[in-house]
Parts: sequence; structure tokens; C-alpha cells
Amino acid sequence: MSDEHLPQEPSVVLELSRRKGAAAVRDSLVGAQRVAAPYVTMTRIALARLGRDRLARAGALVLACLALVAVFADLLASDRPIACRWHGVVYVLPNVTHPAALAGVDGAAMQRDRGPGDWAIAPLVAHGPTEVAEPDAMLAPLSPGHPLGTDALGRDLFARVVHGARTALGLGLAASLVLVAIGVALGGLAGFAGGVVDSLVSRAVESLTAIPTLVLVLVVGALVPHPTTATLLWTIALTRWTELARLVRAEVLRGLGEDYATAARALGASPSRVLLRHVMPNAIGPAIVAAAFGVASVVLLEAAVDFLRVGSPDTMASWGEAMGEARASTGAWWLIVFPGAALLATLVSLNLVGEAARDALDPRLRCASSDLGGGVGG
Amino acid sequence: MLRYALRRVLWAIPTLLATSLVLFFVTTLAPDPARDTGDATIEEARRTRFVDLPRFVNTRPQDVVSRASAAVKAVSSGGADEERGARELRRLGGAALPYVLPLLEALPPEGRGRVAVALAPVASRMAIGNAGDLLQPQTAALFWSRFWDDRALDFTRTAVDRAVSRLVEHGTDLRETDMVSLDTYALPEVIRAMTTTSDHVSLERLTRIARHATERGPVLAEDSDATQVRRAVADWQEWWFVHATDYVELDGADRAIAVVTETRYGKWLRRAASGELGVSAIDGEPIADKLRERAPVTLLVCGLAMLLSWSLAVPLGALGAWRQGRAFDWVSSGVLFLLYATPTFAVAEILRRVAAGHALGGGRVWLAVAALALGSIATLSRWQRAAMLDVVRQDFVRTARAKGLPAWRVAVVHALRNALMPTLTLAGLHLPVLLGGAFVVEEVFGLPGLGFETLRAIEAHDAAWLMAVILASAVAVTLGLVASDVAYGALDPRVREVLSRRQDGRAA
Repeated sequence: MSDEHLPQEPSVVLELSRRKGAAAVRDSLVGAQRVAAPYVTMTRIALARLGRDRLARAGALVLACLALVAVFADLLASDRPIACRWHGVVYVLPNVTHPAALAGVDGAAMQRDRGPGDWAIAPLVAHGPTEVAEPDAMLAPLSPGHPLGTDALGRDLFARVVHGARTALGLGLAASLVLVAIGVALGGLAGFAGGVVDSLVSRAVESLTAIPTLVLVLVVGALVPHPTTATLLWTIALTRWTELARLVRAEVLRGLGEDYATAARALGASPSRVLLRHVMPNAIGPAIVAAAFGVASVVLLEAAVDFLRVGSPDTMASWGEAMGEARASTGAWWLIVFPGAALLATLVSLNLVGEAARDALDPRLRCASSDLGGGVGG
Repeated sequence: MLRYALRRVLWAIPTLLATSLVLFFVTTLAPDPARDTGDATIEEARRTRFVDLPRFVNTRPQDVVSRASAAVKAVSSGGADEERGARELRRLGGAALPYVLPLLEALPPEGRGRVAVALAPVASRMAIGNAGDLLQPQTAALFWSRFWDDRALDFTRTAVDRAVSRLVEHGTDLRETDMVSLDTYALPEVIRAMTTTSDHVSLERLTRIARHATERGPVLAEDSDATQVRRAVADWQEWWFVHATDYVELDGADRAIAVVTETRYGKWLRRAASGELGVSAIDGEPIADKLRERAPVTLLVCGLAMLLSWSLAVPLGALGAWRQGRAFDWVSSGVLFLLYATPTFAVAEILRRVAAGHALGGGRVWLAVAALALGSIATLSRWQRAAMLDVVRQDFVRTARAKGLPAWRVAVVHALRNALMPTLTLAGLHLPVLLGGAFVVEEVFGLPGLGFETLRAIEAHDAAWLMAVILASAVAVTLGLVASDVAYGALDPRVREVLSRRQDGRAA
């Protein structure tokens, strides 16, 4: 690499520090690092490996599209225009910025009572997810007005699928962020502190593992007086951290026994520094993988719960709920196919990315990965 | 081996306790009935769910003595709470007399009169005295002090115990009337006798006495059948479980224990551990009976699905790993990956639609099993493939091949036997998923199992059933985890050593 630079560095740093102070020292250190540059880190290896995996790239692309759909759901399907001038006032995204301003004005009224100089940019489909678009035409089949048909309450299915992406991905991301935070913190603590703390965390992990999450979510949803999406989020996040905590604990226990931890201790690093700077970074890999699979399992769980609890007063659009509505009718294939396809695409992509990340971050596979050629199964 | 198994089973106890804490927390999520409205039904609802008890430690457990003295104080002072106190005295009835009547002498004449009049409904229930005397403060006080001089001897536990066993052995109407004159004081023995005797006539008498004293609850008629008998007894036991401390004095050891048991958690845990899970809000059937009736369906579906998925997933996964990179591996892992990502409810719904229109009958069970097994096959075979891949790379497999053994022998005897181990441990972790899946397929195919009943209970807000079902599934999964660990230890002696060493080290 850069053997000729190494012997010179210390003297340069010392000289600078005497003359110019701390900032200059830092600059010179950064410079030295840059000279030593193409140094290899696990992150770089992992990213490079991830980039090579074609299936993972496809999965990431699908996820990115779904995320865009979720973020811009209001541009794709909404009962309000994207932007409009109504009675002389210009509104941009009225249902986000001024939800009350255009209350009671639907698409038809807007056409009829349009004043001089008024205009509107309509979204792709002019129906919102909770709006009962066709009270008479429940389960209407596919038509230009409703590109994916309507559901059992006469709500536009396209709008429900598009806004369902927001529910699924938003809930999945939020819940898995919380569960990763809890899992890393408690797992790290258990591995590091040992003794009573370790026992307590281990018992908590075992006991939570024994409770079927789907059943728990159903029961909590029924017992809480006013269940909301937040209830679902916290129920999942507070019970699903166990797998990750187990992983992180094992990783920390392993790391604390390794030579690099001993070396850090020998150099006088405090226990917390050994944990936070030397051992925990190695546990980040499992955490990232767990986050990807966590999102997948939360999305799946949310869909299953809404599938079973069809007709609950929760007004959020959800893929699972749309599929659940199809249970009552034998026809209406669109209620199964479109939300099902969205759900399947999300789950497959999340699993592809998660598996690729796991393979990429697994240091044991570093040498083997070139000759193995990762199959789908991983 | 036995030592290891026992150790593992004992190790499950703290886990179950932790689980119980979690589930107890879930019960507290349910909204409490409104406080202090004075409405009797709401007060009763609060009592049956123990919401007025402290959660974990009760430093001042209430019993008949404290309740009676509080009621006497309220009535004798004649304040705003007088009516409430009088109602309480009436409810406590005969059980409170040993504590109320000796107090009378010490009260000021006015208060004494008020308390004596408040006891009038109790006297009429016990069929003593005449109504005119009892409503006059002077004569009522006199009556009660004379009553206590005469009858104090009857109000002892041994006397009641003897009277109840005589009634059960040779019941006569006269003996029944004797019991009625003891009112609620006889309840502990009466309720206990209900559970020990199976004689129909005795049960009739006992339920009649209990109802007379408490002014509530079911009475057996002459023509009631076995189910009605069981339900009536269950109802009385349930009621006694909630209200026992209203009629019993806590002293000495009882009081010490009550610090822990007379709490929300203590009551909940005792109920959960005894299998007395209350009665359903939907049809009044005891929850335990209902669980026993529904669980076989769920267990059948789960068991068959497990059997099916294991017998398919292990060969599939192992073969995939053995043929890594070849066409079979590509196709099978591709298909299994898709299946892995497909939700069970979608598979079940599609299967149901495909089968719709055909006469199904018993076929529904098989469809449900198939829907449940497909997801499990995907998960298990992927684990199996990964485990097999690890093993195949190891030296002893190469050695076995180098010895010139046939390929199938190396694959099955040398590699697969070792590769089964990790899958077996993971199978324990798969149990909760399987159980959740069973709930879904039961609902889709309309099989009358736990899941089906649970969704009905959700619609009806039947909290007792919901708590029972989640408790039952947690216990079942814990037992499954223990079983899978024990099996693992039985198959692999190394694990046994490691585990016992680790736990010894931890204990030391």
C-alpha cells in the first residue's frame, strides 16, 4: 500500500502540533489518512458486494418505486386536485396544506360551480382512499374512472392500493426503527453487563418469543378502547426486538473475547469505549439486516391483521384489508390480485435486499463469495 | 440426559413468570369501567376485574372485618355515606355479625340505633325477629344484643363446618333452614361443599342456600342436566373467587399471604394457573370448557401442517444444498423464495377460491393444512439448505467421499444427520409463526378452532376469552420450545454438556 509514507507521519504531526495547534493536527491526520487511501473497510466491501448482486439491485429498485408511490400518493390518487384556483384563491395540494378549506367540494361540484378564471390540475385518479366514490356500484369492475375497480364499500381500489403503500411502508419503517433501537440497546447491554441484567434480558427475550405476535396484536387491538395504527406499531415494536437482541448479545459476547478488544483494553480504553467504539460497530451489520427483515415482517403482520379484522373502524387504507373484503364475495378478483401483487412485490423485494445485505455483511463469506455465486436462496 | 431435561423444564419456570407479567400488562390495557358512579352493576364489573386492587403489593388487604367496621362507622355517623354503608351491611350479611354486634355496645345510642335498623334486611333474610321491632332503633338495638348473647356460639367455623357436612350427608329441610339462619357466615363451607359433592339433591340445597344469602346466582332445579350443574357450580366458584374476602376474616398467615395474593397480578396469576379462566361473555360457557372443545382443531391443523412441512422441507432443502448451483437448486430455491415471501392468508384465500364450488366437507381441513404447510415448507427448507451448505463444506464430508462411499450415503448419513440439528432448534422458534398461521387458516376455511373463536370474541369484545387464548398459546409455545430443546439435547450430546456447564457457571 503506502509503506513509504508511514515512517514520516508521526514526526509531521508532532511538528505541526507544536506550531499551529489542534485544528492543524486534525487536518494533517485527515491528510495522512487520504494518502494511505485505498484502505479496505467492511462497509466498502459490503457495499461493493451489494452492488454486484443483481437481484438485490432489482429489489432495491422496486422498493424505491414503492417508496416514491407512498410519498407522492396524494399526486396519484386524491379526491382533491393537486393544485387549483378556486373562487380566486390558489391552493397547492389542498388536502395536505388546507384540509378544511375545500371541505364538501368534490370533483363534480368543482366542475359545476367553477368561477371565471378558476382552474384545477387533477391527480391521476380523482378519488381518495376513504372517499366512497360509488355508493351504488359496490365491487364495480375495472373502468376508466376506476382503473382497478372499487371495493365492497364503493371505494376506489387504485386509491386504496396507492395509499396502502404509505400505511405499509410507513408502519414497517417506523416499527422496525424502534425495534432495532430496543434490540441493539438491550442486546448490547445484556452482553456487556452480564450477571443480573443479562438474566433479566434473556428471560424477557424468551418470554416474548413464546407469545405469537399475530395473536397478541389481535388481542391488544380488541382490548384497547380506541385502537389506532400507533397501537399496532408499539405492539409490534415492543415484542419483536427479541431476535435482534439475541443476535447483538451474542455478537457482543464474542467481540469482548476477541484479541482486538483485549488490545484496546491493554491500551487503557475504558470498558464503555471498548464496547461502543470497538465491539458494537461489529454488531451493526446484524442490526441492518434485522431492520430489512423487520420491515418485511411488520408489513406482513399488518396485512394479516387487517385481513382478519376487516370492517374495523380504522380508516387507514391497507392492502390486507382490501384482500379481506374479497372474502365475502366470490367474484371481485381485482380485490385479491392488485393489493396482493403490491404486497408480494414489497415482501419479495425486502427479503431480497435483506438477504443480499446479510450475505454482503457476513465476514465469513468474504473469501468464499467469489466462487460461490450467491443463488436466490442465499 | 434426564437431568438435562429436568433442568431445561425448570428453566422454563422463570420464563413463564416473565410471560405472565407481559400478559398481565396486556390485560391492564383494557379500559376500566367508570369509577365511583355508585351504579351497582359497574361496581360489580370493577370487582370482577379486580381493578380496585393494587397491582403487585397490597399492604392493607380488605377482609370482612375491615369492611364491616368501615360500614358501621359510615352508618353510625349518619353522614352522606349512611345509605352506602347500609347497603354494604346488607351485602355482608351474617358474615359481618360477629364483628358488628360486639361493636354496638361501644357506639353512642343514636349510632347504635341506626346500625341496628340498617341490619333489618339481614334479619329478614335470616328469618328472625319481627319486622316492627327491627325498624324501631330502640327495640332493634335491644334485639340484636340479645340475639348475639343467644347465638354467638353458632357463629364459629367449626360449628358451621359440622352443620354443612351434616346437610350434605343427610339433607333435611330443617337443616337447610338452620343454614339459612346463618346467612352469609356459612358461605365458605357451602361453596367448598359444592365442589366436593356430586350429589344432585345436596347441590340443589347448597345453591339455594347460597342464593338466599347473597341474593344472586344460579340455583339448580330438580330437572337440570349435567351441563347446567357444571355451569352453576363454575358460576358460584367464580363468584367466590372474586368475593371471598367479603365474607372471610384474614388473620395471621392468611393476612401475610394476602399482601401478595390480594392484588391484581396475584388474582390474575392464580386464576391463570388454576385453569379457571372465567366465563365467556358471549354465551356464559366456562372458558376452560370452550378451550378444551376448540383446541383439538387447532392442534390437529398445526400438527398435520408440521408433519407435512417437515417431511417435505428437509429433503427439499438438503437436496438443494447437495446440488448447489445446479438446475434443481435454482428452481427449488426460486420457488421456495416466492413462497417464503407470500403471506399465509393470501395462500389460504387463493386455495379457498380455487376450491370454491366443490363440495368440501372434511376437505376443508386438508386445504387449511396445505395452506399453512406451504409457508412452513418454504421457511424450514431454506433453513435446512443453509445448514446443509455449512456441513457440506466441512472436512469430514470430504473424508467420507474420499473413502469412496456412495454419494447418497455421504449425503444422508454423514451430512444430513449433522445438518438436521440447527433446523431442529430453529423449528422451536417457528412455532409461534405456525400458531399465528393456524388462526388465519381457520378463519379463512371456517374451521371451529381457537382462531375462529378468537375472531368471534374480538367482535363481541369477550376479554376473558382473548386473555385465555393468548395465555394458552404462550404456554403451548413455551412447552414446544422446551420440547425442541430437550430433543436437541437428546440428539446431540455436545449441546447437553455446553448447556449444563453454562447454567452451572451462571448459578455459581
